[in-house]
Amino acid sequence: MVESLILIEHDRQRVKRSSLHAITLARQLGGEYALLLLGHGLDGIAASLVSYGASAVVVADDPALAEPLADRYAAIIAEAAQKDCAKTVLGTSSTFSKDVLPRAAALLDAPMVTDVVAIEDIDGSISYRRPINAGSMFATVKVQGDRRVLTVRATAFEPPAADAAPCPIKRFEFDAASLPNGMQFVSREERKSDRPDLTEARVVVSGGRPLKDKETFELLVGGLADALGGAIGATRAAVDAGMAPNDYQIGQTGKVVAPELYIALGISGAIQHLAGIKDSRIIVAINKDPDAPIFQMATYALVGDLYQIVPQLIESIGRA
Amino acid sequence: MDFAWSDQQRELLDAVGRFASHQLNYNVIENDRDGVFNHDAWKKCGSFGIQGLPVPTEYGGLGMDPLTTVAALERLGYACKDNGLLFSINAHLWTAVTPLVYNGSEAQKKKYLPGLCNGTLIGGNAMSEPNSGSDAFSLATTASKKGSRYIINGSKIFVTNGPVADLLVVFATVDKTRGPDGISAFLVEKDSPGMNVARKLEKMGVRTSPMAEVFFENCEVPEENLLGKEGGGAFLFTRSMTWERGCILASAVGTMQRLLETCIRYANERKQAGQSIGKYQLVASKIVDMKVRVESSRHMLYHYGWLSGHRKAVYLEAAMTKLHIADCWVKCCEDAIQIHGGYGYMTEYEVERELRDAIGSKLYSGTSEIQRNIIASMLGL
Amino acid sequence: MKILVSFKSVRDPSDVTVAGAAISTPKSVINPFDEIAIEEALRIRERGQAMEIVGVTIGAPPVDEQIRTALAMGVDRAIRIDDSRVLDPYAVARILGAVVKKEAPRVVIMGKQAVDDDSNQVGQMLAGLLGWPQATFVSKIEFLDDKTRARCTRETDAGLEVVEVNLPSIITTDLRLNEPRYVSLPGLIKARHKPIEVLTCDQLGVIVRPLTTVLSVERPPKRAVGTRVESVEELITKLKQEAKVL
Repeated sequence: MVESLILIEHDRQRVKRSSLHAITLARQLGGEYALLLLGHGLDGIAASLVSYGASAVVVADDPALAEPLADRYAAIIAEAAQKDCAKTVLGTSSTFSKDVLPRAAALLDAPMVTDVVAIEDIDGSISYRRPINAGSMFATVKVQGDRRVLTVRATAFEPPAADAAPCPIKRFEFDAASLPNGMQFVSREERKSDRPDLTEARVVVSGGRPLKDKETFELLVGGLADALGGAIGATRAAVDAGMAPNDYQIGQTGKVVAPELYIALGISGAIQHLAGIKDSRIIVAINKDPDAPIFQMATYALVGDLYQIVPQLIESIGRA
Repeated sequence: MDFAWSDQQRELLDAVGRFASHQLNYNVIENDRDGVFNHDAWKKCGSFGIQGLPVPTEYGGLGMDPLTTVAALERLGYACKDNGLLFSINAHLWTAVTPLVYNGSEAQKKKYLPGLCNGTLIGGNAMSEPNSGSDAFSLATTASKKGSRYIINGSKIFVTNGPVADLLVVFATVDKTRGPDGISAFLVEKDSPGMNVARKLEKMGVRTSPMAEVFFENCEVPEENLLGKEGGGAFLFTRSMTWERGCILASAVGTMQRLLETCIRYANERKQAGQSIGKYQLVASKIVDMKVRVESSRHMLYHYGWLSGHRKAVYLEAAMTKLHIADCWVKCCEDAIQIHGGYGYMTEYEVERELRDAIGSKLYSGTSEIQRNIIASMLGL
Repeated sequence: MKILVSFKSVRDPSDVTVAGAAISTPKSVINPFDEIAIEEALRIRERGQAMEIVGVTIGAPPVDEQIRTALAMGVDRAIRIDDSRVLDPYAVARILGAVVKKEAPRVVIMGKQAVDDDSNQVGQMLAGLLGWPQATFVSKIEFLDDKTRARCTRETDAGLEVVEVNLPSIITTDLRLNEPRYVSLPGLIKARHKPIEVLTCDQLGVIVRPLTTVLSVERPPKRAVGTRVESVEELITKLKQEAKVL
């Protein structure tokens, strides 16, 4: 019996660290929580989760779950939640959790709140704060019913400490043969990179449409990111133009980041992009248009030609 | 008198505005500087339905009544900054499409109108010559019948869309001794043997609308391309000119509205000596005058459209509408530059271009002097 | 094959006019992701793979304007569920479930999220309620095996994934699936003769009560105004000494 059941994400090799941030919200909600892991060959990953203060790490490990097919995963999540009588099912916002958790919510006949950034106790009931309208507004909502499903915005919650006494790893028993069969995994295309993960990096350097093409983008944006040991991001326009792959996209419908330092190169500052960077500690904007909206949000604004400025920056940082 | 638009008209006008502001406003400064015609934007307008607005549906048009047509063109002018594109569209509509609709044979209409409506064909006319502008009917280009063809000889100037046109309505005389009664109109397809679209003409304004001289040297045109009757050219021209006068500056009303709003915004934002310049009466007064010009132009335009739609004679109203809107447009542009001060003189602010574009309106489709002559004669003077 | 496209009317998120809003411009539009869904349905039909495209939306009479836009784009007919309440995604999914039962489409396509609410839940919830496969955040759709399956490319945090789903299925669209066509005037005029069916939840046979209540909405605090720097040297100095981030 737990208060909360937390869906942990992994890449078949290790835990996706940002998915742990949901644990922080579960701790704020109070009560016991279990961590739920789905996939195949999960022993190592499960073992890495035992110190997060959960009552158990629940593992659904089966070849039928080797790939994250939403119909199967949602069925397992719903079953696990019901078995554990969990009132709240949560995960950290990601394309994975957004794919499976709403479906699980429907199976649980529960409402769902996406991208929770904070909770508040109002008159004994919990209310959730979440961004709407590309983050230009925040709504405080409450939900009714015995159960609810939440995703949390990773950048709004600190990573949880892993200093608890180890908890048991429990195998979740289910009938693999009765899992839905309507979806098949075909392939995935993921680049391996030496650079830090975009959502976890301390420094993010992002480029917009003025970066001309893929080569120039990699040279300047990549060059500066490497000089700073950071990750690369891109605007929708840059991705649409083929300068950067879709997983670099930052914004309302891409990734939300909150690094220590965010450097925006040739980015005008469309509201949909700003939605993804607002909580960065320091924002540096470099753009040749002095009226670019991004300058309203930048901590430091440098108006000029990025083709002159960025090579200079890379050189100066290298020297320092 | 009901001054309200119907829901359907409003929906149509809003669609025109959204289309134009999203799809037509790119590279205007560069294209104006280099005199480049935006083929892509032309095609988009065609797919959207602009070039077919007043054409009967059976020929691929939208069958819009004149009032809705001019209102749509007004909205187009409001939302589209490329006055040259609009000028080319207008030339196409009033000098090629309209004569075809009213004077074309069934075969001619079926052959050319669908393409003219959907943007795949560009039309224009060739009337003016080096020695005949305002005195249009003294033209010297000849057309002589030889068997089943007409042979056209002469030179035309100020052919709007000339460099890009697929079809030109060419006015030539079959018998100089009959004066205006010898003038005939011919549908001449591009690349007709003996037709030479010569150098592109550089203009002060509407520079994204291409214009050329066109020479006809024993240019052969099949007899089925005679538009209307032999000797019916002057009448055809006068009738399509009436349409042209009434409608060609519809988009200018929208342009003036946009200029007005730009000036109001600027006057509120720009501060000098501690206050917004709009608070200074000399600035405010100019904006007030702009507003009154927009409103009076709009009312004349709509009245013309209404009369035309109700099949009233509009020869007088068309001339007054053209005269008045041209005058208002030029004055609005002058005021807009003045209000913007030094910035009004800079190409990147796109205010100076408006004046350059507007000046031509007092010259084409009959100079303002000609319009005054027409109105005077209609007043019995 | 019949395609059901679900769309939402939202406040226009983009800057629409050239010079200001004095002349009336529509303040509501079809949710951009749903527009992409409509466009995809139209392209599927143009490829000869679908016969009928039905649009559905939930709202009060003013959303008829967005319905007419969808019809003008090329949707064949539309259903408006007449309900002016503020509904949460789960309520929407349940209503759409009843529409699906009524219309029996082979595919339901909708945007992955509404740009006002940004919840990204409805498609997945609908799939769960119906027990149908789902393909979310799709950037490419191909029909296979005489339209018994669809192969979809999905945009994920790590890159791209390809999945195949048995039909009938729910598909939610991502940005790069296509670029929607603009409404043309001929389309607008044709749309005037296309039927719009108005149904209440009662008539559909579904009773829903939203389980989510919005208590308040507010603007976040603005970031403090920053400073202009004039050179690379100045920027680096400030990042080191002032911001202490280098």
